[in-house]
Amino acid sequence: MMLLVVGCNFKNTPVEVRERLAFTGPRLAQALDELSARYGCEAVILSTCNRVEIYLARNEALVAPDAELIAEFLLEFHGIRQEEARPEWYHHSGLASVIHLFRVVASLDSLVIGEGQIAGQVKQAYETAQERAAVGPTLHALFQHARIVAKRARTETGISRGHVSVSSLAVDYVRQVFDHFGDKTVLVIGAGKMGELTLRHLKDLQPRQILVANRSPEKAAEVAGGCGGRAVAWDQLDDALAQADIVLSTTGAPEPIVTRRRWNDVLARRSGGTVVILDIAVPRDFDPRIHDGDRTCLFNIDDLKKIREQTLQERGKHVAAAEAIVAQEQRRFLAKWTQRQHVPIIAKLTRDFEARRQIIVQQLFRRLNGKLGDEDRSYIEGAFRLLQNQFLHGPISALAEEAPEENRHTLRDALRKLFRLEE
Amino acid sequence: MPEIVERVTVFCFAASYVLALAMEVWHLLAPRPIQRYLALGFGGAGLLAHSIYVLVQPLQLTAPFGALVFLAWILAVFYFYGSIHHGRLAWGVFVLPLVLGLIGLAEALADGPGDNQDFLATLLSPRGERFWGALHGALLLLAGVGISVGFVASVMYLVQVYRLRAKLPPGQGMRLWSLERIEEMNRRAVLWAFPLLTAGLIVGIALQIQNGVSMSDWNSPKIVSTIGLWLVFAILLYLRYGVHARGRQVAILTLVAFAVLLLALASPVHPSHGGGP
Repeated sequence: MMLLVVGCNFKNTPVEVRERLAFTGPRLAQALDELSARYGCEAVILSTCNRVEIYLARNEALVAPDAELIAEFLLEFHGIRQEEARPEWYHHSGLASVIHLFRVVASLDSLVIGEGQIAGQVKQAYETAQERAAVGPTLHALFQHARIVAKRARTETGISRGHVSVSSLAVDYVRQVFDHFGDKTVLVIGAGKMGELTLRHLKDLQPRQILVANRSPEKAAEVAGGCGGRAVAWDQLDDALAQADIVLSTTGAPEPIVTRRRWNDVLARRSGGTVVILDIAVPRDFDPRIHDGDRTCLFNIDDLKKIREQTLQERGKHVAAAEAIVAQEQRRFLAKWTQRQHVPIIAKLTRDFEARRQIIVQQLFRRLNGKLGDEDRSYIEGAFRLLQNQFLHGPISALAEEAPEENRHTLRDALRKLFRLEE
Repeated sequence: MPEIVERVTVFCFAASYVLALAMEVWHLLAPRPIQRYLALGFGGAGLLAHSIYVLVQPLQLTAPFGALVFLAWILAVFYFYGSIHHGRLAWGVFVLPLVLGLIGLAEALADGPGDNQDFLATLLSPRGERFWGALHGALLLLAGVGISVGFVASVMYLVQVYRLRAKLPPGQGMRLWSLERIEEMNRRAVLWAFPLLTAGLIVGIALQIQNGVSMSDWNSPKIVSTIGLWLVFAILLYLRYGVHARGRQVAILTLVAFAVLLLALASPVHPSHGGGP
């Protein structure tokens, strides 16, 4: 299998170098065209914020692509001089490149183990290469199989379970409490930068209204304008709390702004159900004792970070299972691949025997001309066909049963030599 | 009727439900699609056997055994429907223990007294007092379904509250609906059960008065526990709509209502008591 992968990733190449090596839009298409034309091979380029990798495959009759040349091509294509940046290239060939791709797509090689984006990015890379006609039978088979690996790792192990970003986790908790958001009120307290991403996620839930409270009315109006909300006066905070379903608090206040007593007063005025408070301010804005998991669900930044760690730890427990899937699928891929490699030799062998059989049978018929009836001719033809099938059954079965081994096709080569199939 | 159909016993469907529950629990511990399919297969087989049993055996719904087996059957339908429509939720983990519990209780009370009327036949051919007795029983049984669904929702609610209170990582462990949706399910179950319970009680009281039963007959455990159930429901509705109580309080009171329902179902029938469970 003449496969090669050359690349660099977050483990050993700094982001400023990876940024320069990244492929986007038309540059990606151009690179694929150049790779195919220059090296006469199939190519897929995987370019994400954490890695740049080129997958190449060549017909078996030719020599494997040279990793050094491909690395040089990458630098040359991006106009980077050798002395300017020194990415730590890695390369894998043959079976090692299959295992590498399967580990990448199962997100075992990711910065955050189990992250869900990489499978989509690999798929996108393959589709782009396909659009540029840079994909042939080898990479097609490899990337199709990679999709199976990604799906199995995701569905059969817990490697992708749960979110690991603070804002996504916050929204996960909100979703554990609420089912629909069209009748919900979100209250944003403060205007901290930390809350921006969480607010964006909350806005995506399309709540009925967003209220913004800030000590500075101008700042409140500014934040409200940015998220399509309505500013409320700071002295009306308790009223806003009483009608809110989801509270996002990001003030820079040195002490809690909502004490237990104040919250109890707010609760007494509330007619709605549970309220979820996402307190991502440091120091905290809400007294943590108000959390009861029923009427008040309070999650502060420490809770969310702790849960992030727990989720990552939990994912770590499933790495071995995902690695086992990679190993299993790599064997399956190799077995399938070997079978596919046997198809031309089996076809040639059959064709060759078919031609020889027909020549011999025709010679026999000419010799016995006039002495054979139609039934006899048909019987003789059938007998020779049976002989051919029985003769070929052994070699073909042996080929099918051959244990797949990388770049070693002893039996296939033997058959080629024994039956002079090259000539 | 084929002989095999008549050979279906309580053990057949109970064993299928046990296997389905085992698959559900296994799926919870090590999730794989195969366990989900196996659970559905065993659950479906159990429901089929249960349905045959309910149709073929002359169930006496006035007796605890018949009423409990019938109630378990309706909940098994609820389980199967839920498992197909909410495949990602740990639905069976909550509903199947209830179904099995009811079947177990039915078996434990299998020798209880009851009248020998064919419940469905009486209900479908309305004639006189027996029809009203059957209607009384049907209304109370349907109310029982509502209370059982409310029970499942309440247990789910309390588990979800526990997970939120303990701040367990979302997306891990069993999948449940949001608190809001579970509460809505409980609310609907209660709103479904209360009118049926009230109507069933009114029909029952009317029948008792028409039969001219003595005061002492009103003290039968079945009547007392059913009236107790109605009172618990009245408190539940008052708490919900009168003082806007939400969440855990309502869930716990629904569990109490379910306990009283079990008491009512398990109570023996007084000789003067006509139809109905």
